[in-house]
Amino acid sequence: MGRAYLGEFEELVLLTVAVLEGGAYGVTIAAELKQRTDRTISLSGVHIALYRLEEKGFVRSELGGATASRGGRRKRLFVITTLGKRTLGEMREVRNQLWDSIPNPHLIVSYE
Amino acid sequence: MNKQNQSPLPPAWADRLLTWFCPSYLLEELVGDLHEQFDLHVEEVGEKKARQLYIQEVIKFCRPYFLKRRVSTLTKPSASVSSPTSHRYRYPQHELRSTFFLSPDMLRNYIKIALRNLWKSKGYAAINVVGLSVAFVVCIFLFLRSYLHLTFDDFHQDDDRIFQTYFFSNDPEKALRSGNMALPLAPALKADYPELEAVARILTGRKSLVEVKGKYFDKLVLQTDQDFLKIFSFPLIKGNREVALRNLSSAVISETMAKTAFGAEDPIGKTLLIGSDSNKKQYIITGIISDAPYNSTIQYDALVRIENSYAYQHDKDNWSANSHTVFIKLPPHVDQATFENRLKPFAQKYFKGRLDDLKKKGAKPDQRGDLFAVRIQKLSDVHFDRDIAGGGGTPIAIVYTLMGIAFFILLIACINFINLSIARSFTRAREVGVRKALGALKNQLFVQIWGESTLICLVGFSVGVLLTYLLLPLFNATFDGRLQFDQMLQPGFIGVMLGVFVVVTFVAGGYPAWQMAKFNAVEVLKGKLSIKRPGAIRNSLIVTQFVMSSLLACCTIIASQQLNFLRTRPVGFQKEQVISIPVGNQVNGRQVLGRLRNALANDPSVLAITGTSVNLGRGKDHVSSRSTVGYTYKGKNVSSDLLLIDFDYLKTLSIKPIAGRDFNRAYATDSVKRVIITASMAKMMGESNPVGMLLGDDADSSNTKSQIIGVVPDFHLYSLADEAKPITLYLSHNEPIRYIFVRVTPQSLSGTMDKLKQVWKEVAPQSEFIGTFLDENVDAWYQNEEQLSRICSLASSIAILLSCLGLFAVAMMIIEQRTKEIGIRKVMGASIASIIVTLSQSFVKLVLIALIIALPLAWFLMKTWLDNYLEHISISIWVFAGVGLAAVLVALATVSFQTVKAALVNPVKSLRSE
Repeated sequence: MGRAYLGEFEELVLLTVAVLEGGAYGVTIAAELKQRTDRTISLSGVHIALYRLEEKGFVRSELGGATASRGGRRKRLFVITTLGKRTLGEMREVRNQLWDSIPNPHLIVSYE
Repeated sequence: MNKQNQSPLPPAWADRLLTWFCPSYLLEELVGDLHEQFDLHVEEVGEKKARQLYIQEVIKFCRPYFLKRRVSTLTKPSASVSSPTSHRYRYPQHELRSTFFLSPDMLRNYIKIALRNLWKSKGYAAINVVGLSVAFVVCIFLFLRSYLHLTFDDFHQDDDRIFQTYFFSNDPEKALRSGNMALPLAPALKADYPELEAVARILTGRKSLVEVKGKYFDKLVLQTDQDFLKIFSFPLIKGNREVALRNLSSAVISETMAKTAFGAEDPIGKTLLIGSDSNKKQYIITGIISDAPYNSTIQYDALVRIENSYAYQHDKDNWSANSHTVFIKLPPHVDQATFENRLKPFAQKYFKGRLDDLKKKGAKPDQRGDLFAVRIQKLSDVHFDRDIAGGGGTPIAIVYTLMGIAFFILLIACINFINLSIARSFTRAREVGVRKALGALKNQLFVQIWGESTLICLVGFSVGVLLTYLLLPLFNATFDGRLQFDQMLQPGFIGVMLGVFVVVTFVAGGYPAWQMAKFNAVEVLKGKLSIKRPGAIRNSLIVTQFVMSSLLACCTIIASQQLNFLRTRPVGFQKEQVISIPVGNQVNGRQVLGRLRNALANDPSVLAITGTSVNLGRGKDHVSSRSTVGYTYKGKNVSSDLLLIDFDYLKTLSIKPIAGRDFNRAYATDSVKRVIITASMAKMMGESNPVGMLLGDDADSSNTKSQIIGVVPDFHLYSLADEAKPITLYLSHNEPIRYIFVRVTPQSLSGTMDKLKQVWKEVAPQSEFIGTFLDENVDAWYQNEEQLSRICSLASSIAILLSCLGLFAVAMMIIEQRTKEIGIRKVMGASIASIIVTLSQSFVKLVLIALIIALPLAWFLMKTWLDNYLEHISISIWVFAGVGLAAVLVALATVSFQTVKAALVNPVKSLRSE
């Protein structure tokens, strides 16, 4: 693989950042993921994933949008970068190719 | 603000925790997110649950990712900003930082300072390390020994339900307990108390000759019942636990024995022969049992059914021939007291004779209402019960004594450590002051200084463990300990030692560190602190040390005096110049005795030769076996030890008959139904001149009586700790001779031993010669006491040495601090002698106070201890005087090293130093 490694959870978080479009920060991402995947999502895990993504250059962030329920603290809002979008696209491409190469895809799908 | 007060807030301590371990530049967003989520949770699941979730969430934040960043922000603030590899650090970080006291920089500083300090005061550090490591070595040895004793027999499953039976009889002279049972007892117990899960008799004794395919071995064969495997959970490696001992001819052998006798072969189904001559019997091996661990009361090489034993047919219905121990397993819900109560009618039913006997003697029931009772002792306590463990047990008091000594020595080493640290702390007061002025907190200083002492403790501890490892063989050789290093690696023991170590670091290191951390920075920097010294604490610690060491010294001296007294007491026979030779199972003792008599008949250095069944004292074969016999005499039950002897026994041992005569070859009937009894036996029978009287043997169905032909004075047959018990001596041409005694002339002691060895090779070539002098054997009776007294002497010398070491160091330090004072005194005209007196005075005073406390305490303790002995020495005042004088002299000598040196210094030097 030519690009930085992306873990399964990181990929989910990155996708969610893209989904939430501008409104993505710790709490919303965790809530979105919880609702969609039905797993227990811890804030700390989400944050670490976000920071890693940022270190890898898939997202960028800025502080802003303090509210009362946060005790006047600002939130860090995350936006997906072009690199992030391209990486997601590449991953999807790879997956699609793999799916297409399965001889009997319905056998696998029917298990869901 | 109002609104915020009303809405629920997450637990504040969780936030503080987060603040503590999260990097500060991430704090705002993280806490914000957490609080927002908390609000959502409150709406969804309620406040209580939300708080729980919040705490869980915070705890999940404690992970290396955040911690690492937290530490690096604290230590490298500037480097991180410019670091191109890390995008994280472009976040602003404009807050004030306090020094994280575990940051690598500070740690490096602490270690540097610690090493410099240690280097500067090598002497003190060495004294501390030596003192601590010696104390740890002593501690490890003594604790290990006690640990082994305390964990005796605790490896069985359900060991709280396994009991040994014993007889209790409230004899008017002295309440007696005995663990030896008669053969019909166990079957009767089983029949009368069907609720018992298992009952097993165990007949042990001497090693038996085992023959496997023409090879001979001496093995400890335990004769027992089928239930043995039900009661004890020694693992069975091969065979079936249920059926292994079902047949009379089954044998279960130990792992080691299987290896030595069969090698790689599978022994199951093979045969072996046990016994010698006419008693030889063939067994089929049905199981392999793993070896009994070192801390098991029950030891064995092989198990067979008790029905095979020599006297079984003869004695199986004889209630007065006590020969073996009985173990039972109670059902789960029955406790000891309940079952002992249930056993009361059992004693009434089967021991009517004993009860009547005791009543006739005027015995009264004890507080539990028993004249005579069958009682039970927990297996885990059997080891500590000398009465019923057949003399093989270790009194628990000894175990506690050992632990107490270990504790004393550890305490003395700790006191040294504390004293030295406190004394040294004044030289470091400035450092503390400077650190405080630069912003060090009290607990930071505490951790630093305490860490330093812990370092020294750790070195001491490691040296101690290393020394233990190296000294283990020596210790085992000197004290006959069966300690092994891997026994130290058991989790329980490691736990104990770690606990000791932690306590020591806390006591020895914590107190001085706390004292130092308390220093007032301003006063210290002004130099005021040196005026008030914690003399009271130091002095009381020195006093405590000397109290303990003089206490130990007094007790050791008195205990060894008592031991010596017991040893030199007459044993009833002349033990000097008699050589005792164990015959061994390979040869026929009677034939060897005959041959030896022929071979030595014309030897002028041999005075008498005889044979017997019981060795006197403990020889090199380490075997002791005991058989007892019960007679009825004029309706009275008389029980005594039974001793097989040969002609010339009394002559060999120089025992003079009080009445009657010795066995004589001239009387052909002497080998049948003729006995010699001891004086206490005669007393028991109530006859002043019993010669010629007839004794009825309960066990004998033919009911012929034995005639008494002589009475001899009491002598000790088994141990000197016991009072001399009645003994019946008899002569028989059929029963095996196990030991041969040879009395030699005093002129040729060592030469005769060699000569006997030569002759032995001719008369008994198959048997190894392991003869010993009888007086050595008798000394071996005191092995336990001997060992204890040796351990005590060693421990008390170590205690005294450690105390002196501490005193030496303290004196060195005090005199160092008083250099100037001494200089001024000299300038003012004080003589060297008067300076030495002035300096020594204060130390001698401390020792005197210690003696005033220790000596009466020692007197009281030893008096209580001596009262346990029937015959004991009276405590001599000279012991205390000697110990006191020695303590003062030793202290003076220790201190004078320093005082003399200080007094001799030219005042010009000491006064010029500043």
